[in-house]
Amino acid sequence: MSDETVSLSEDVARGETILKVSNLKKSYGKLEVLRDIDLDIKKGEVICVLGPSGSGKSTMLRCLNLLESPTGGTIELKGDIVFDGTKPKNLDDLRRETGMVFQSFNLFPNMSAKENVSIAQVRVRGRKKADADKRSIEQLTKVGLAEKVDEYPDRLSGGQQQRVAIARALAMDPEVMLFDEVTSALDPELVKGVLDVMRELADSGMTMICVTHEIGFAKEVADRVIFMDGGYIVEQGPPKDVLDAPREERTKKFLGLVLDH
Amino acid sequence: MGEFFQTYFDFSIMGDNFNAVLEGFWWTIKLSLIGGAFALAWGLILSVIRQLPGKALAPVRWLAIAYIDCLRGIPMLLTLLLIYGGLGTLQSTGTIPEWLGIPEFFGWPSSFWYGVMALTLTYGAYMAEVYRAGIESIPRGQMEAARSLGMSHGQAMRFVIVPQAIRRVIPPLLNDYIALMKDTSLVSVISLAEVVHVGQDVYSTTFNPSALTLGAIMFLIVTLPLARLVDWQIKRQDEKFQRGLA
Repeated sequence: MSDETVSLSEDVARGETILKVSNLKKSYGKLEVLRDIDLDIKKGEVICVLGPSGSGKSTMLRCLNLLESPTGGTIELKGDIVFDGTKPKNLDDLRRETGMVFQSFNLFPNMSAKENVSIAQVRVRGRKKADADKRSIEQLTKVGLAEKVDEYPDRLSGGQQQRVAIARALAMDPEVMLFDEVTSALDPELVKGVLDVMRELADSGMTMICVTHEIGFAKEVADRVIFMDGGYIVEQGPPKDVLDAPREERTKKFLGLVLDH
Repeated sequence: MGEFFQTYFDFSIMGDNFNAVLEGFWWTIKLSLIGGAFALAWGLILSVIRQLPGKALAPVRWLAIAYIDCLRGIPMLLTLLLIYGGLGTLQSTGTIPEWLGIPEFFGWPSSFWYGVMALTLTYGAYMAEVYRAGIESIPRGQMEAARSLGMSHGQAMRFVIVPQAIRRVIPPLLNDYIALMKDTSLVSVISLAEVVHVGQDVYSTTFNPSALTLGAIMFLIVTLPLARLVDWQIKRQDEKFQRGLA
């Protein structure tokens, strides 16, 4: 697997659909977590997903790169089916084109920051170790960690660890970045550093889907805000519509609870 | 007090039989090294079988679980006697080939190889559980992070999970190894002249257990440093764990 064979199909232009989700369902036994999700994600779009806990927003995100296997519906990546309703297809392509950042960072504790960023470049992308390391240092520098490339995760703050995790995902050159409540486990004073990195990434034109509780960040950065509850998309649209003038009762109630404290 | 000392530490008996006891202990070492190596490998195979994914392989997993549970539930002495009492007979009726019925590889007695079999079968089951616990102790997020970066299940195991799990299984594996080494003494009952057997022979002619004391000392020379090593390893890991690294 080398860089030349990466693309499954032609690159899509900015504004064209990159991920298309239709009738996505997910249940655990009798518990329906996602009921019927339809979603088009366009290249360069920044989407923030809000909703109460248990609304299915993290599950939806995890279904997008098939860390969770949906129980129904289809997912298309750049026009190619990657999930056909029962099982994954071209799973490797999907995972290579999507980067994911987790709430709990999930850095590999036995590797330095640089090694964390390099390992998948070498093992999955087939890059030479030296090239991968060079790329890792560039990427870590971009997220403000030039001085920390040789540190191990236990020597880094939560905010620094999360920025390493972002660098690790970005070094794989993904088309879409998935952020799963990436600031929720951070001390308040460390949140800004991570959000700044995400803001810059959004400005650079990266396609991003962020499950978040940071309403301010959503307002400022998102092209589209999605509000989920009970496994459905209740409401979606530009932040000024959904956040400032929500139509649905449930959205109003949620925003009231979140903003009032 | 003097009598106690004379009974257990009769230096003339120890001196007279030192070479014989040492020779017996050499069998103990060989048993524990060869049996231990096979048990390590067999345990790994069992734990891998136990964790094979998918519905279709469920019966294979159940077999592995049943095996592990049963062999952990039978005293090793009994396993050893069953092997010893059965294989020779099965071989003589032609049910199994002679090399398995009366194994004498390297010219070592078949009682030695029956011992190796019993140690492998029993301690393989124990060690399978240790491996499994080690792999399961790695947080789920590690596998998810590796998979989300495009690694296959096998790559994630090889480059991310197993390297972290290995450090965690070394102390419990060493513990099992110490237990295995002590259980080699059971093979004396099928008349392998290992250290306990030699000690007892001396006892039955001199009516003095000093040769057995000598055997105990030889065990301690090996097992005490191993026990310290386990403690040191665990302590090192605790420190790392407190720093959030283990």
